[in-house]
This record gives sequence, C-alpha cells and structure tokens, in this order.
Amino acid sequence: MPYHEFECSTCIPERKQHAVVKAPGEDLTSCLPLGYLNTIPGSISERGCAYCGAKHVIGTPMKDVIHISHGPIGCTYDTWQTKRYISDNGNFQLRYTFATDVREKHIVFGAEKLLKQNIIEAFKAHPDIKRMTIYQTCATALIGDDIDAIAGEVMEEMPDVDIFVCNSPGFAGPSQSGGHHKINIAWVNNKVGTVEPEITSDYVINYVGEYNIQGDQEVMLDFFKRMGIQVLSTFTGNGKYDDLRAMHRAHLNVLECARSAEYICNELRVRYGIPRLDIDGFGFEPLSASLRKIGLFFGIEDRAQAIIDEETRKWKPALDWYKERLKGKKVCLWPGGSKLWHWANVIEEEMGVRVVSVYTKFGHQGDMEKGIARCSEGALAIDDPNELEGLEALERLKPDVIFTGKRPGEVAKKVGVPYLNAHAYHNGPYKGYEGWVRFARDIYNAIYSPIHQLASLDISKDPIPTSHGFMTPEMISDAGLDEAVRASDVLRPYTGKADIITPLREKTDYPEFPRRQSAAE
Amino acid sequence: MTDMTKDRVEQLIDYIMKKCLWQFHSRNWDRERQNKGILGMTTALLCDEPVDIEDPKERCYWVDAVVLADAYRTRYPWINTLSKDEIRELMAALHARLDHLTITGSLNAELTDKNY
Ligand code: SF4
Repeated sequence: MPYHEFECSTCIPERKQHAVVKAPGEDLTSCLPLGYLNTIPGSISERGCAYCGAKHVIGTPMKDVIHISHGPIGCTYDTWQTKRYISDNGNFQLRYTFATDVREKHIVFGAEKLLKQNIIEAFKAHPDIKRMTIYQTCATALIGDDIDAIAGEVMEEMPDVDIFVCNSPGFAGPSQSGGHHKINIAWVNNKVGTVEPEITSDYVINYVGEYNIQGDQEVMLDFFKRMGIQVLSTFTGNGKYDDLRAMHRAHLNVLECARSAEYICNELRVRYGIPRLDIDGFGFEPLSASLRKIGLFFGIEDRAQAIIDEETRKWKPALDWYKERLKGKKVCLWPGGSKLWHWANVIEEEMGVRVVSVYTKFGHQGDMEKGIARCSEGALAIDDPNELEGLEALERLKPDVIFTGKRPGEVAKKVGVPYLNAHAYHNGPYKGYEGWVRFARDIYNAIYSPIHQLASLDISKDPIPTSHGFMTPEMISDAGLDEAVRASDVLRPYTGKADIITPLREKTDYPEFPRRQSAAE
Repeated sequence: MTDMTKDRVEQLIDYIMKKCLWQFHSRNWDRERQNKGILGMTTALLCDEPVDIEDPKERCYWVDAVVLADAYRTRYPWINTLSKDEIRELMAALHARLDHLTITGSLNAELTDKNY
C-alpha cells in the first residue's frame, strides 16, 4: 500500500493509513486510505459534528420551515448567515435561526418545557410558516429529552402545523456524515408518503443531494423546465417541506451529492421502486451526459440535446479562454466530501489544471474510491486531514491554488496560496454551463490576482517597489501565450452579470409540452 | 488473456473510472447489480441486440449503457472492427475486471454493511 506518512504526524502513527499517493501502477485494490472512522485523538480534525451534518447541511436548506436546534445556543451559532444555500422566498431559512438556549438549570431539571415554549413562540412569531424541523444536540440527547413526544403534543394542539424531529446529536457518528445518514433515514421513515402531490407532467423527478449553493439548484431547475420535466421535490436546497413529503411519487431520483443523500435514494428504490440515477451537474461534458441520460430515461432526448447544443455553443469559447490560461496550474482539491470526485477529472480535462492532491474531511472510503479513480497519477489523497498535515502538503506540493472550506482556506492564504471556497463558492453558481465558466473565472482571478504581488512582500524587511505599478491579471496570464491564442476572436473572457439567478426566477417563457393522453386523464 | 485484450480492457476501465459513477454504489450487492445491469446492456447495444427496458430499473441501467456504448464507439474506434463474439468476450473480461476493482478486490470496508 503506497501510504504517505506526514512528518508532522509521526507522533500519531495511526494517521499513516489515512493518506496514500496514487503512484504509477496503483489501482483501487492497492491504493485506498481508511475513511469515515473516529478522528484519532491528538489529530485536530477539520470535521463538523453529526448534528451539524444533519442540520446545517441537509435540514436547513429547506426554505419554508422554522429550523430549531434544541440545545445550547453555541450549537446553532454556525447556522446563521454563514451558509450560502439561498432560496427564492427571500431566504427565510438564512435570515432566521432558532435555538432553545438550553442552560445549566435545564440540564438539571430537564428542557422539554422550554422546548415546547420555544416551538409555540416561533410559530406565533411567524404565522405564515407552518412547518418546523427540530434538531437534537449532545446536551439534550444526554439528558434524555423526548423531542418526539413534545412535537406530537404541539401538533395535537396546533393541527395546522407539521413538525419533523431529527435525532442526530453531535456524537452520533464520526463526522457530519453520520448526521447526513441519520436525517436521510429519519425523513424517509417519518415524512415520505404523507402528502400526495399534484402531478403536472409525464416526466417527474426528485432532484436529490442538491443544496442550491448560490443558486445551483435554480440553474438546473431551468434546464429541467426547458425539458418539460416536473421536479417534484429538491432534497433539499430551495426545497419545500411538503414537496419532500411527496417524494414517493417521482418516476426517477436524480442524485447529485451521493455522499450526503444516497441513503434516501437507496431507500426510495427499495421501498417504492424509484430508480436512482447518479449525475454530475459540474462541467460541460459530465453535465451534458447527465442531461442526456435524463432525457433518454423519459424518451425526450431531443429536448436535452437542444439544451446541450445551445449552452455549449454559448459558453464553450469562454471556458476555453480560461483553459488556455490555466493550463498546468497545480490544484489541491480539498473539499468536504463529494466535490473531490465531481471535480477531480473534469477540471483537468476542461480547465487544463493538474490536481496534485485530493482530500476529504468527512467522506467515506467510497468517496475516496471515486476521487482516486478520477484523479491523475501522483496525486496525494488524504482522509480527515489536520491543519499541520495540510500545511506540510502545501509546502511539499506547492499548488497554485486550493479549493477548500473557509477555515483551511484562510490558513492557506497565510502561506501565500490562494484559495477558492469549494463549499459555498466565491462567485457562484458553479453548476450549469455558465456556472462552470464562472468557476473557471474565479480560479483565474484567484491565481492571477495582483494582490499576490503585494501580499508576498514582507513590509518589515522587503523593499516596496514604488517606481512601477502592479501587473494586471492579463499581463501575467498572457505573457507566455501563443499570439494566435492571445489574439483569438473566438475565445473570450466571461462578462456575465454578478447575479444570474434573479432573471431565472423571473423567467416565464418555458415551452408547453402536451401530455400523453392516457397519463393526463 | 492476450496483451492486446488486456490493454483494451484497461482503456475501457479507465473510461468508466474517470467518467462514470454507477460502479461505486455503497454496498457490494448494489455494485454487483449495477455492474451486471449496465455492462450487460452495454454489451447488447454494442452487439446491436434488442434490450428490454420496460421496467424503470432496467431503463435506468439502459441510459447509462447508451452513453457508455456511444463513448466507447467514438473514443475507441477499434471496437467497431470487432465481431459480436469478440465484443462479448471483451465485455466479459471488462466485467470481471470491474468486479475485481470495485467489489472482490475492493479495500472499502463499508461494502459489506447490511443496511444502507
Ligand atoms: S458536538 Fe454536540 S455540543 Fe458540539 S456543536 Fe455538535 S451538537 Fe452541539
């Protein structure tokens, strides 16, 4: 096994089995790190807890819902306005966050009464919102509060409300991934099948594992609408609570982030016979293949092809403008879970960069299988890294940019490596054809930003140049380019607006497709 | 297996590994089902044989198979020169290799979990 031992982790020998190098001749039967295990004591992990995985990742993107944490205020702190899963109802789920504010006295005397008060108060404060999710935390799980019983009492007293309880306290798994699992299973057990939807198309899907980061879901929804497909529910970005109760009526589950949401697709397949189709919404070729597959499934491949042709024609010249300027740039692809495999191959092929390392904070071995299978030889794959390992890897690999979360990202900046936010994006959306170009634009801006010319200077000792200005990104990126490429009148940089989502929300001119007679009756 | 077949199988495997996701479902029984369903359909499509896609589950395998067969035909033009028997033989070797990489030889400790 081609394990990689970090010098900084020789004092934690178990860490050695969590990093491998994909050397020539290695395949998945010889090259796979351990994964989804409890973090080894002494290793300062970058993971979140199982409550965080259930609430912050999967539950909270639901848009028409009061989301309450039952626990100390600290647990919910990270939920408020730090995420970018936007919605088309004014971002209710981002603007308000709710916690029961459990304190020492409640630990001693119980917090059920407090919970009930909070639930009722929240519904009264927001009379238009009739749906709620409640999340268990470590403290209230340990004192044994029966959230289900309280939710049941409230639903009896207020018959127009519906409440979902998620029992996934922080300790319910090695990482946030334990919480993804728990909320998937709880939702399918308790809520799916409790609402009957109105079916308006012959082609009905659930769009699963999609969190509408900076509008990703709305971009994909536009494609589906252009194909005449009814998206019954989105699990969960920009999704509605009651739509998600009706998931059992879809003809197909279209799955993006298998790491966080494959469980519900698997269960829907077993319980309701709905097939699961894994797709990639990132990158021209993977997205085109995905739209084509969905089209094929419903016998409307021509509609998919029309979108693929139109979007490719429109955006490929811009993508290629960046590809020419990003060729050979070294990338550390260090996201949380699924993006390591969504992006590993396609950014090399479509943007010309080279992935020198992949890591996952909370992924399972299955995610590493996909990531290692897709990345090139020589890449360093790390499971659940700690900060020192990250720094050592940066020192060794000398990447031009890293894609990661905001905490490790800020660390990278301090050692002079630009970072892009892989979870919440910089200037997304990144899905769709235009989105993929926006991602290329953000990578370009990160690598070639003039700020590095200043940031790399140490004002305590380096001379500060005052006789000349800074070089612009294009002066740097185009210096070594062929004249033919530089002067190309086909290739062009991206010039789209900052906000491309509002126009999608206002769009009404979708084609009407007649329904098959037998189905419509 | 001849060196040429081995080389061809590796080319086909490389495509699946870099471009597809269906071979990496989370449990071994799922992976067996996926590999068999999709590669079986792909073989039939490459041999111009009819496929039964009435059942939604089969249809779902079929869509992955259509895209895979098309990619094989365009990326590896040598496949168009093979006889049906040769295609079947090649695809059987591919199936065995994929099962080895993703199931029997896999180091993924979660594959044998009983529940999802
Ligand atoms: S680990 Fe427990 S106490 Fe900490 S944030 Fe998560 S739920 Fe709250």
